[in-house]
Amino acid sequence: MKEINIDVAVIGSGIAGLEASLDVADAGYKVALIEKSPSIGGRMISLSKVFPTLDCASCITTPKMAAVSHHPFINMMTYTEVREIKKNDDGFDLYAIKKPRYINEGECISCKKCEEVCPVYIEDDFEHELSPKKAISIPFTNAVPQLPVLDMNKCIRCGACARICPKDCIDYLQKAEEIHIKAHSVIISTGYDITPMNAKKEYNAISIPNVISPLQMERLLAPHGPYGKVIRPSDGKIPESIAYVQCAGSRDKSIGVPYCSRVCCMYAIKQAMLLSGSLPLADITIYYMDIRTFGKGYEEFYSEARAMGINFVKAKVARITADEKGSPVLRIEHQEEASKPKEIKHDLVVLSQGMIPAVRDFLGLYLEINEYGFVSSRDKTLNPSQTNIDGVFVCGVARGPKDIPDTIADAGSAAVSAVNYIKSIKGKSL
Amino acid sequence: MSDNNLNEAQKRVGVYVCHCGGNISDVVDIKKIVDEISKYHSVVVARDYVFMCSSNGQSLIEDDIKNMGINRIVVAACMPSLHELTFRNAIQRAGLNPYLYEHINIREQVSWVHKDDPQGATSKAILLIKAGVEKVLMQDPLNAIRVNAEHRVLIIGGGISGMRAAVSSADNGIEVVIVEKEKKLGGKLKRDGYVYPSDEKAVDIVNKFSKKILSNPLIKVYTESEIINIGGYVGNFDIKIKKTDGDIDNIKAGSIIVATGFDHYMPYDGEYGYKKSDYVLRLKEFIELLSKSDGLEFVFKGKKINSIGFIHCVGSRQNEGIDTPQADGKVNEYCSRVCCTSGIYTMNKLKEKFPDVNVYDVYADIRTYGMESESLYEIASKHDVIFFRRPLDERPQITFEGDKIKITTTDILSFNERLEMEVDMLVLLTGMKPSEIDDISGYLKLSKSTNRFLQEVHPKLRPVEMNINGVFAAGTSLSPMDITESLQSAQTAAMKSAILLSNPDIPLDPFVAVVDEERCTGCGRCVEECLYSGAVTITEKTIDGNIKKVAYVNPAMCKGCGACVAACSERAIDLNGSRLSQFEAMIDAIVKE
Repeated sequence: MKEINIDVAVIGSGIAGLEASLDVADAGYKVALIEKSPSIGGRMISLSKVFPTLDCASCITTPKMAAVSHHPFINMMTYTEVREIKKNDDGFDLYAIKKPRYINEGECISCKKCEEVCPVYIEDDFEHELSPKKAISIPFTNAVPQLPVLDMNKCIRCGACARICPKDCIDYLQKAEEIHIKAHSVIISTGYDITPMNAKKEYNAISIPNVISPLQMERLLAPHGPYGKVIRPSDGKIPESIAYVQCAGSRDKSIGVPYCSRVCCMYAIKQAMLLSGSLPLADITIYYMDIRTFGKGYEEFYSEARAMGINFVKAKVARITADEKGSPVLRIEHQEEASKPKEIKHDLVVLSQGMIPAVRDFLGLYLEINEYGFVSSRDKTLNPSQTNIDGVFVCGVARGPKDIPDTIADAGSAAVSAVNYIKSIKGKSL
Repeated sequence: MSDNNLNEAQKRVGVYVCHCGGNISDVVDIKKIVDEISKYHSVVVARDYVFMCSSNGQSLIEDDIKNMGINRIVVAACMPSLHELTFRNAIQRAGLNPYLYEHINIREQVSWVHKDDPQGATSKAILLIKAGVEKVLMQDPLNAIRVNAEHRVLIIGGGISGMRAAVSSADNGIEVVIVEKEKKLGGKLKRDGYVYPSDEKAVDIVNKFSKKILSNPLIKVYTESEIINIGGYVGNFDIKIKKTDGDIDNIKAGSIIVATGFDHYMPYDGEYGYKKSDYVLRLKEFIELLSKSDGLEFVFKGKKINSIGFIHCVGSRQNEGIDTPQADGKVNEYCSRVCCTSGIYTMNKLKEKFPDVNVYDVYADIRTYGMESESLYEIASKHDVIFFRRPLDERPQITFEGDKIKITTTDILSFNERLEMEVDMLVLLTGMKPSEIDDISGYLKLSKSTNRFLQEVHPKLRPVEMNINGVFAAGTSLSPMDITESLQSAQTAAMKSAILLSNPDIPLDPFVAVVDEERCTGCGRCVEECLYSGAVTITEKTIDGNIKKVAYVNPAMCKGCGACVAACSERAIDLNGSRLSQFEAMIDAIVKE
């Protein structure tokens, strides 16, 4: 088994993990950044533009990804899954599996010839199933590292990729590799999933194709998105009327998520603004309970959106059905007018889903999590990054819903805690 | 370095044009730029890429340096403050002097401002890039200036953020000096009552930190003290501290963390009846009153309190034309973030103590974001707090009738009914405003946001860094935040400061003024114009056996603003990286077309 000795193991390479890794490494400590996906970058790299500055998400994320990949103190371990974490007297033993990409990583020159010749199309998870990709492909344009992954479950063993590869690096028999990582400290930055599309039965989101998730809308709006423009999935029509259903995965006991996810108001407003830029004639309506634009510059952002003509309607959406053309029909109680329920038709509806923890089981580490599965702080008013276990720190959405600026501020907090923890134990051993 | 001796023919320019994923390429014709620039003199290669700042994009540049002998780089992309450093690092990795590089902004200065004129935008981009080529051809290799750093951080403000930053810095082995103007550490938490999210007594939090701070030999605390001047520069700040006894201490620090916190918004006399009646209180006053009140009945100044109204967004989410401006003529457009939760937390405390008191809450949006806060809101509903939602552009009216306070408001939740309610007491959920720190921000020349809190360099790339190298900000000096968020921000500031001080010497950009001693007449006009006292001085120097007065630039203190260059009639002072001759070449390139 391959053995790696480092100071801090950072689990999860979204914006929280990238930031924490860079801080720890810049302070002079060795990091293993462990990512289960084939590329680092997490959720943020798939977003279009980010609030409230409307910077393109790539412009912020890709340089950090590049910095991580070039940092002499960061060992970037992609496509690697942690299977077990044990605390010992010296620190932590992490047992991980590096999954096979079925290519010789040292030899690959990222020429994409294998991707070009592969005859098998599969769903593209990066595009949230909006478009296909090849069974062997580099995960996305800005992926780091630029290495293709072969989906062995979908591969038809035709051998086309192996024949075209100029470096002869396709390896159909490649095996997973076991890795033992010894670390003094661990930072958990495992991030979030969004609440399932079918969480709220009344919204029929699975059966109505023109009800989409906000992450799909991010891809529709992204510069290198699946279609290069915003069209609705059922028939490719350019939508003239788009609605956002707020709190479609938050503040709702019936789906087990009673808390507020903190980001949905802002991402809906942001997407609405971007939509009114790319589809100037479209009507955009946001159905909401409370608008929670509480961060720096956010209230001003909300005012700007109202001035741009985006409709904000205080109403809880009770049910979504579809008309014969597949357009979603929302049943709402309009609170600012008469109390009667109303049915309103839109071409495209985005469900503002909430955040739930991506990881709830820390594999042998007895980490305290709260009733919703987020990692708890030992003392919120002393050091929010400190978990119940000495030497284990948490940042980003793994600790609770957070937007990008709050996550970045949180990552430095976990980093300094880890660095100072290592200083303290090394001080004792001297 | 050998680059100095290259003749014109040996200078090989590579030009790299970024699409910025559509931000640029949706407006300007990238292919046309690349075609035209490829033909420009000295340009050996011109390339484009969707995101030049990504790993792939950077590799294009590195590969060309290594494989094609490119020795001058022009990147045409976003504003330099975003990614100049990204590209400089890539160039350095490829073994070239990182300053043989020019960054041309074709996003903010081209595609974003000329959306309606794509052709004009493309022509402008081409001209700017040609000018950039001319500039980089005349660029000399430069080396970063290195200054020794004091292994000590100054923390301004001893509230929760300052205390947290102090403990984190000291745990990192860095000496800390905290300067607090009040008698004791603790800032706004030195008060009675409890706080969310931990339901602790505010003073208990202060005590947790005070203990750690007072027992730590690396931390020196100045209370009832005031900073009366800050000079110097990153690594070597000189701070004058006036102590209680009037004595002045001079200390040196390598970095500074500004944790000056917030002030409570003070309603003007008569705002929602404030100061018109003893029974109109700010939330802070109410919390203190509640923590002192016990017994079966809630009695204040002889009156039994049966009902209380709470008004949200007092001093926050204000609109011009609706709300009365403050003394400086401004309204606070921002949300103060904590008042909804803090108010509702207090309503719950009130209901636990005096369950029979009726509570009416008039709000615009309830912003109990996150996990614990939302459950406080639910608890308040269970306590039968009655919520009234007003329209965004309306304010509740307050009138006094006998010993009752009458609130009149439109309530959206009952389909825009006009409602009146009489209460015995009114609590104003006042927001946060920035502390008065014109002195500190003046000494350090710190930028402020439009909301008058401190302005970070970039909310995502550098969220705790100030515009002045070596100065960081933490907590509510940046914007409203709660205790946990302040702690996060303070620790991140401590991290960035610790990274800076982890090197014995700090590298600084070499873009500073340089003096041509032969031409200099020692007239001193540059000294008069210099905005950073001490950066340029007149000294006597022996040149060819003669004693001559000449200007001397302290490269660590010079910020490269160029004020001296404009003042010099002899062209004896110039800026490294932005020489007058370079600008002349750029202008020539632009007007030639």
